Amino acid sequence: MNIRNFIVGITMAFLTLSATTNVRADALDIFKNEKGIIKIAGGTAHIPVVKEAAKRIINFNPDIQISIAGGGSGVGIKQAGEGLVDIGNSGRMPSESEIKRYNLKVFKWAIDGVGIIVNPKNNVKTLSKIQVIDIFSGKINNWQILGGKNKEINVYTRNEASGTRAVFWKKALNKGKITSKANFVVSNGAMKSAISQDPYSIGYVSAGHIDKSVAPIAVDHVLPTLDNVKKGSYKIVRGLYSNTKGDPSGLIKKFIDYLLTPECQEIVRTKGFIPVI
Amino acid sequence: MTRPVDKLIIILSWISGIMLLGAISSIIGYLLVKGLGAIKFSLIFGETSPVDALLLKRQVFDGIFPAIAGTFSLVILSVGFAVPVGLASGIYLSEYAGPKIKKVFNFFFDILAGIPSIVIGLFGFSMAVFLHKHLSQYIFPCLLISSLCLAFLVLPYIVRTTQVSLENIPEQIRLTALALGATKLQNIFYVLIPKSLSGIVSGVILSIGRCAEDTAVIMLTGVVATAGVPKSILSHYEALPFYIYYISSQYSNTEELLSGYGASIILLAICSFFFFIAFLVRNRLKYHAFYRM
Amino acid sequence: MPRNRQNQGLYPGHMNKIYEKFAEKLFLLSAILSISVTILIFGFMLILGLPFIREGNFFNLFTQPWSPHQGLYGIYPMIIGTMSVSLLSIVFAFPLSLGCASLISVLGPKGFSRFFRKVVQFMTGVPTVIYGFIGIFLLVPIIREIFQGGSGMCILSASLMLTVLVSPTMILFFIDSFDQVPKTFINAIDALGGSKVQKLLYVMLPNAWRGILSGLILGLGRAFGDTLIALMIAGNAIKTPGSVLDSARTLTSHIALVIASDYESMEFKSIYACGISLYIFTTITVLCVRFLRTGPKGVTK
Repeated sequence: MNIRNFIVGITMAFLTLSATTNVRADALDIFKNEKGIIKIAGGTAHIPVVKEAAKRIINFNPDIQISIAGGGSGVGIKQAGEGLVDIGNSGRMPSESEIKRYNLKVFKWAIDGVGIIVNPKNNVKTLSKIQVIDIFSGKINNWQILGGKNKEINVYTRNEASGTRAVFWKKALNKGKITSKANFVVSNGAMKSAISQDPYSIGYVSAGHIDKSVAPIAVDHVLPTLDNVKKGSYKIVRGLYSNTKGDPSGLIKKFIDYLLTPECQEIVRTKGFIPVI
Repeated sequence: MTRPVDKLIIILSWISGIMLLGAISSIIGYLLVKGLGAIKFSLIFGETSPVDALLLKRQVFDGIFPAIAGTFSLVILSVGFAVPVGLASGIYLSEYAGPKIKKVFNFFFDILAGIPSIVIGLFGFSMAVFLHKHLSQYIFPCLLISSLCLAFLVLPYIVRTTQVSLENIPEQIRLTALALGATKLQNIFYVLIPKSLSGIVSGVILSIGRCAEDTAVIMLTGVVATAGVPKSILSHYEALPFYIYYISSQYSNTEELLSGYGASIILLAICSFFFFIAFLVRNRLKYHAFYRM
Repeated sequence: MPRNRQNQGLYPGHMNKIYEKFAEKLFLLSAILSISVTILIFGFMLILGLPFIREGNFFNLFTQPWSPHQGLYGIYPMIIGTMSVSLLSIVFAFPLSLGCASLISVLGPKGFSRFFRKVVQFMTGVPTVIYGFIGIFLLVPIIREIFQGGSGMCILSASLMLTVLVSPTMILFFIDSFDQVPKTFINAIDALGGSKVQKLLYVMLPNAWRGILSGLILGLGRAFGDTLIALMIAGNAIKTPGSVLDSARTLTSHIALVIASDYESMEFKSIYACGISLYIFTTITVLCVRFLRTGPKGVTK
């Protein structure tokens, strides 16, 4: 009896194990025997995840070619809508008019926050929401007012096409003004480089991009960590979306499906975002 | 008996010279110091083995091989477009055109030469979008459009060097073949062009260098951050100067920054190489031509 | 028997005549094709920028600030940005280049001059993106520390780097102009026992002034048209700059930045206005240089 149970147990375990490993291999298997090109453009926050996914797909099947460009969410939506690229990434939900105009299909595959960052050498660690609004509008222009050194605050902001900027402007600044003296950078990565090099800077970046080279600011005592975003205590959140013109088909559909597999969602997690599954 | 003013001028000139030398040495020196350590196979090929990458069997990630391949394709295509047209235009201007026409044409070429590269890129992008909407769904900013724009960029240089080289041939040589009964065309192809070859070729080589280093045009017409080796002329591609620009503004760790330095050294080496070859060609061919006389 | 007698009527070599005509037409066609590109570029920008010009009331375009959220699409701050960066860099580059050219052509010892000339020629081949790249990591922090304020990404930094970019071309141009001074003049002053500086001041400069002025204007044109250095180092703020330590945006980097946005919007169309301005600046530059060229030399190069 015991031996029989034991054998059944082992067989069940074995079957379950092989089933799960099959699911794992399946994730990339859909790309077997596929050929073609996938053109992706848009949000710069998405790039680490999309690049890793592309790498795995291409290593699995070298007949597939994937090109990835940045440019910001605006570019992603526009170019996908116009058919210049197959998948347009955006860090903000496309507007009603955009969806209608281009017949966009939107796919959300991660959740991200937008964090405010300063240089690690800066001793200012927390700000209130009002202070944030005043700093970015230029009203507060010296770190001394906030308890820091007597230096002018160098504000960095993103280019207009940026979804990160759109979300930050809406949710953190309540659609307030951004000072015209602000320096412009063109991507999340560029923002990070700028802030890490300028000791008197302040800017905003996708929470998934925050690493040791920059220091996050706690807004109303809440830091933009993954947990706080998940819990809902950090309010400046947004989803990472991929948009296609009309319903995706063929290779494009498979890529989008792949983004939503557990394997890819694991990539999402390792890159610092929150998976949706 | 040097007056104080004279002394001052000598000192100022020397100061200028030293400042310029200082500037360029610190720039190149800084680059070499920071980047020389990054030059190894993994910079170019990432984790893929060099043989696989070169035979295009596997795509390279985290390496600048696709960017090098992209720049290479770009240069070949642009020069392929620009040289025939530029050569022909140069020949026309020096051999067939009357002085008034010459003046008008030269004026336009000067303008073309002076147009900022980003304006040409803007033109290329608009052209691509326009064609995409009205001609074919498959046209979008790509290798083809970029190389056409780069061809526009270097066209004035090729025309000018061809024209000037041809014009500089002394009267005696120009008239000799004609006096012997050759037609104008034969004169051009058998006498004039070979004589001015050094100038023309150095112009072409300098254009090659120009195509390899330009960033503004390709930024607007199809270069992307990740695309692998370009598989067709209607595809997106990577390029070395764009890679450097991209890394400089958005490196995520010191490794990537180092690769930026390494890529800069490689780009600098490529452009210096072309420059050096142009210089050699000009001297070599001059020597041969002289010797044959 | 050579088949190339040029006689009338049908004769053994008459095919060559057809080839001749054909070749001439072909060459002409290429030249016209090349020219048409120039005109096409301008035409395209004009057509695409037309709605902007029409809607935006032409002069406002050039005098308004840039604030898309408020519906202001003026490129005035960018014009000031381009002007400041370029003019400042020429202010630095002109004396520098003149000094170096004098050194190479006249004042310096033979060996050094030859070496220096090679270095300058080498510098013309250095890619712009490398100047920008090194500028970000070497120059910007230095400026930030020296002036103890601002982010270091400002007009001053961009101009300094631009000076290094533009000087080699200017130097080579000046050297060329010096070389064009008739040898007889040089021999004359040498025979009279003039010193090198006297030769420079009283013979070369007065005779080469046209070439020098052309070089200056060409350098200015090059500075106007540069994109990367301004994009990477000048900061790209949209406010009209008030001092050289302010972050600024040039017409060229504006094009590069805005190209990423919706290309049917008014913002996008504004970059055609930038393009047109740049085109017009270039044309004016070329006209000035041409005007200067038709002097005692007479030959239009």
